[in-house]
Amino acid sequence: MNFDDLLSAPQYSLAQTRKETELTPQFNELTRHHRLHCPPYDRLLSVMYPGLGDAGSLADIPFIPISLFKTHRLSSIPESDVFKTLTSSGTSGQQVSQIVLDRETARRQTIALSRIMTSVLGPERLPMILVESEAILKDRLRFNARAAGVLGMMNFGRKHFYALNDAMELDEPGLRSFLDEYGGKPFLIFGFTFMVWQYLFLRIAHLGLDLSQGILVHSGGWKKLEEMAVGNPEFRRRIADSTGLTRIYNFYGMAEQVGSVFLEGDDGFLYPPNFGDIIVRDPLTFREQPVGEPGVIQVLSLLPSSYPGHSILTEDMGVIRGIDDSTCNRAGKYFSVLGRVPQAELRGCSDVHASQVSA
Amino acid sequence: MIVEQVVPTAARVDLSEALEALRTPAPPLAPFSDAVIGFCADFSRRLFRDEQSLRFPELQALAFWMRKAELVRLGQDFERLKTAGTVLVPRGLVFHVPPANVDTIFVYSWLVSVLTGNRNVIRLSPRASEQTVILCRIFNETLLAAPSELSDNTVMFRYGHEREITQEISTCADVRVLWGGDASVNALRSVPLPPHAKELTFPDRYSFSAIRARRYNQADLPRRQRLAGEFFNDLFWFDQMACSSPRLLIWLGEPDETSAASSEFLHLLQTYAEQRGYRVQPQTRLNRFAFACRAALDEKAVRYQDLKELIVLDIEDFQHFTRDHCGGGLLFQYRIPELEELETFVSRRDQTLTYFGFDIPELENLASRLRGLDRIVPIGQALNFNRFWDGYDLFQELTRHVCVA
Repeated sequence: MNFDDLLSAPQYSLAQTRKETELTPQFNELTRHHRLHCPPYDRLLSVMYPGLGDAGSLADIPFIPISLFKTHRLSSIPESDVFKTLTSSGTSGQQVSQIVLDRETARRQTIALSRIMTSVLGPERLPMILVESEAILKDRLRFNARAAGVLGMMNFGRKHFYALNDAMELDEPGLRSFLDEYGGKPFLIFGFTFMVWQYLFLRIAHLGLDLSQGILVHSGGWKKLEEMAVGNPEFRRRIADSTGLTRIYNFYGMAEQVGSVFLEGDDGFLYPPNFGDIIVRDPLTFREQPVGEPGVIQVLSLLPSSYPGHSILTEDMGVIRGIDDSTCNRAGKYFSVLGRVPQAELRGCSDVHASQVSA
Repeated sequence: MIVEQVVPTAARVDLSEALEALRTPAPPLAPFSDAVIGFCADFSRRLFRDEQSLRFPELQALAFWMRKAELVRLGQDFERLKTAGTVLVPRGLVFHVPPANVDTIFVYSWLVSVLTGNRNVIRLSPRASEQTVILCRIFNETLLAAPSELSDNTVMFRYGHEREITQEISTCADVRVLWGGDASVNALRSVPLPPHAKELTFPDRYSFSAIRARRYNQADLPRRQRLAGEFFNDLFWFDQMACSSPRLLIWLGEPDETSAASSEFLHLLQTYAEQRGYRVQPQTRLNRFAFACRAALDEKAVRYQDLKELIVLDIEDFQHFTRDHCGGGLLFQYRIPELEELETFVSRRDQTLTYFGFDIPELENLASRLRGLDRIVPIGQALNFNRFWDGYDLFQELTRHVCVA
């Protein structure tokens, strides 16, 4: 199966051994491609992985830390081919990631995301509620991965309704009239997890609105909600109880691999698309963890050809919940994200960590 | 202004009143007087006995450094500073500003200040570590049992970055002691001091080790194993974040000598680390890995070895080498043919060279030709504090020489 076959085949249809067989040579090809076209990446691999040959399995594909994209602009294309440079602010840093895209990678990202989303949304564009204010797209200075994420998702809807104003207040009359007009048939709601909870759900929980035809897609991490002791099961249950909305899909993704998102199944677990995979590693030895053992998440995606981001070690903790034994009819691995790797404060007699590399 | 006082008692106090009380004390204490030595020895005994303090090796090291016999020896050293025609008296009020994530290094300069008879004000960060909290508690207990002339010796305030508080304390300081990163030291230095006051600064420093490969290869196995253990302690005690923690290991010798010595030494080091069960935190591990990747990208490292507890990066020349470091168990390694090569490498920022296989005369000769390095001590003593620190003799810095003729 080449890349196009992987895209056009139904997503989540490859059993793990098949996926290994199909994907490993393509990842080896990508590694060679980036070594050839991105000299700093080649230098990195020759020092960190001396004598590296072709990987025999997905777990053997060399990975690089996600924080490198915050300090280095890694590119595998000539400057004249740069279509745009995506930036993201991480959760804790002033430093932003720089992701260099050419038209081809951007195109692949768009198609890939579409293949993933339509697997739960269906082929039709649905009327869409954005749990955002319109300002996020207007402020070019702050145009970052969040805005890009919103823009990317807008493709899957029509009749877009921004549910929030600039002060993050809910436009309740607007929401009611949207529901009057479109609420009887499937419609799409998209927003960042925390915003969906804080600015939409908590404000409408007592109103008795009927969102039972809605499909909620949300992303962005659970950190803020966990501080309020709200985990995924409670998130799903409380939204369902008070609005009737049950088709809820969280996804895990990052600016460093746009388009390659891990979408939640009906069982509440996250699934890699056909053209990507996930590996969980022991945080100390970096060895692959067995099912059920938490560790650091490595993400693999065939999308990035303009920058060497096809195999990235994140700073998120996760756990593989199972392989090929899903209860929602999806093949391959499924997993949960457990949050950020806990920060360690190094002691010492200097209070400025001049070379601190986290963020 | 109301501030949070931690020592001598936990209370919210008026800063001006507290400072006024410090300014108008009884006559100064005599340096190394029996009362002062007795007080510090009592503090040491309590640190040795306290259940919480026992859990922290650095507190035990502090207690050991302050034990009675050592205090008496320090007193004798101090006596030798006296010359005919001068009397040594305390400077007066010393204002200590430890770094935000302090560990216990700053305590040594404070104790030298106590021993030389000074009164002390200490700023504690709201982020003070568990060790610091234990120290304060035990210090308070010691104060309660101390004779009255010592009861007003030390006051500690806990506050964040409020410049007004630092300003007000500084107006009555005779000496100000600043520890911390370069940026914090610079920021604090801009707060005025009285015209007569002096300042000691302990900013960011860099430290490294050197081993003469031939002598290493000649040493017997027990000595080599002991060396690995000593090096391990130097490296890991403060998560490699102390200013004197070694971050670079220089091998002196011919390539065949050094490569044999290096691989055996790293093997012994790893074995020792495994026995000790040192485990890094996951984030530290990720930081280290990312740091190593960056070093490779930026052409600063040509070889990477992952020894689990420790990452070793080989460098090929000093030209591309910066002193950036992530701490937490990462060691740069470099080979030089001649000791003279250090002369161009060493900068004023370098603090401690820990060594094996060198003789004192050649090290003295080296020291006199370098722009930096304030300590050259055997491997295993990187973190052993003494009165000579960062180029200062703290006994001299914290006393006045009064000429009497």
